[in-house]
Amino acid sequence: MNVDVDTINHLAELSNFSISEKECESLKKDLGEILKYVSLLDEVDVDGVEPTYQVFEMENVWREDAILPQEANRGQLLALSKEQKDNQVKVPKVL
Amino acid sequence: MKYYPTIGIECHVQLSTKTKLFSEVDNDARGKEPNSCVSPVDYALPGMLPRLNKEAVRFCILAGRAMNCEINAFSRFDRKHYFYPDSPKGYQITQFYQPIIGAGHVDLPSGVSVRINHAHLEGDAGKLTHFDTYSLVDFNRVDTPLIEIVSEPDIHSAKDAHDYCKELWRLMRYAGVTYGDLYNGNMRFDVNVSIAPEGSKELGTRAEVKNLNSFRSVERAVEYEISRQSKILDKGGKVIQETLGWNDATGVTTGQRSKEEAKDYRYMPEPDLPPIHLSDEYIKSESEKLPMMPADYREKFGKVIKEDILEILLDYPALMQKLDEMACDKAADTVALPLIANLFASVLLAEEKSAEYLNDLPSAKQLSELAEMNEKKELSSTATKEVFLKMFDPQMKNKDARTIAKELGVVQENDLGALEAIVDAVLKKPETLKAQEDFKAGSEKVLGFLVGQVMKESKGKANPSAVQDILRKKLA
Repeated sequence: MNVDVDTINHLAELSNFSISEKECESLKKDLGEILKYVSLLDEVDVDGVEPTYQVFEMENVWREDAILPQEANRGQLLALSKEQKDNQVKVPKVL
Repeated sequence: MKYYPTIGIECHVQLSTKTKLFSEVDNDARGKEPNSCVSPVDYALPGMLPRLNKEAVRFCILAGRAMNCEINAFSRFDRKHYFYPDSPKGYQITQFYQPIIGAGHVDLPSGVSVRINHAHLEGDAGKLTHFDTYSLVDFNRVDTPLIEIVSEPDIHSAKDAHDYCKELWRLMRYAGVTYGDLYNGNMRFDVNVSIAPEGSKELGTRAEVKNLNSFRSVERAVEYEISRQSKILDKGGKVIQETLGWNDATGVTTGQRSKEEAKDYRYMPEPDLPPIHLSDEYIKSESEKLPMMPADYREKFGKVIKEDILEILLDYPALMQKLDEMACDKAADTVALPLIANLFASVLLAEEKSAEYLNDLPSAKQLSELAEMNEKKELSSTATKEVFLKMFDPQMKNKDARTIAKELGVVQENDLGALEAIVDAVLKKPETLKAQEDFKAGSEKVLGFLVGQVMKESKGKANPSAVQDILRKKLA
């Protein structure tokens, strides 16, 4: 698969990254190489093989529905954000 | 031109588990401070791992069975990526490929059957409040368990859209998986509407109205969309596929952000949560715990209670349970049940006292006794209503119907001997002599006056029809 500038920009937007033109060029090259390498796998016939969703073969890892006290409190958690107001996280206007 | 609308609905239901879907934090944030029900997992701090709530999985079995759905033995989670401040993880954990609830159907009172495509389990997002220059984020709602119910496009009118949403609301409350508080967003609806010329085999382009939170707004939004799209097509225009918001105050849908072109969520299997594998026995044993559903009540009471009354009462699962208890009682029959049903419907619901009244219902035994007293004419219909209301009075509610009726002094006198004595006393009164003569001369209407005099003498306790019989006999 050929990686062009539009693909890089699309991926950057989806990932919420801003990248310079120079970075775009080098990413184009690197991602192209990576895809080429991975495409070696295309030779394997995987028809009818269930994808591997999980490598530990575990199932039903669940817990009971009981409230447990939390070690981190609201103040500590809110302190991790850049700005707070009225016990909420303040962010630039969205919508 | 005449158009035929086609509607499909997605409904989000917040589950009323004690804790969140992926953390051991209080899931009931009603009336609580912002960000007070939040753990490092909800906050998506590095290294935090989700821990699946087994109860939410169990609720899915109940909710699924309530909609006649298959429960999939195998299901798993996926990540749906997007950036928005209401999601600290940068993705939502959902079930894109293998949802837990499979195909089923919901049958509306009108007889319309709406097929369910599937329903999946996922975490809710946080709540944003917008101000002039900034927005505030409350993470209390992050990863509240949700099921998203996806219908097939089997709905073809605004009324059916309304009825479908309402029936889902009832089903989820009967199944006991949600508080069902619409005002607080416990259930939210996204409605897809398209129209096509009548008789056309192809569907039109659909518009999606998001985030409706009442049955009425679902109905109005659908009506509005049908008319908006009809006008566009009449003028030879084209409906654009877009996402719309609904303004309840203006009654108009408006275009939201056009993120259609960037809709690339890069779904991938959730590596932090192993799949769910439910045994047939577990699915069966949980399914059997599903209580009676609205359809079961319609089947059971449809011939005894009038349809419009039954449909009002069906909004209240606890009340229906009470009626069912009464039906198990031998005293209850085709007379007692409709009487009690009518009392609930007319006295409580018409006066909009439902919320406070229905928290604490009278016992089936109290109600059966009340019905029996009414049937034996020991209580007039007015007195029956009066006693019924007292059953909700904190001072009286634990007393049986007879005790309440006696305390109120409204038990009708049916003892013929006693009644005769009262009638005799009234007939001796000089002020009744003229009426007696008139009646003997053939005037029927004075009988009412005489009955009234007897009622007065008995302080309202005499049974009027018995009094009439005695009077007729005495004056014959």
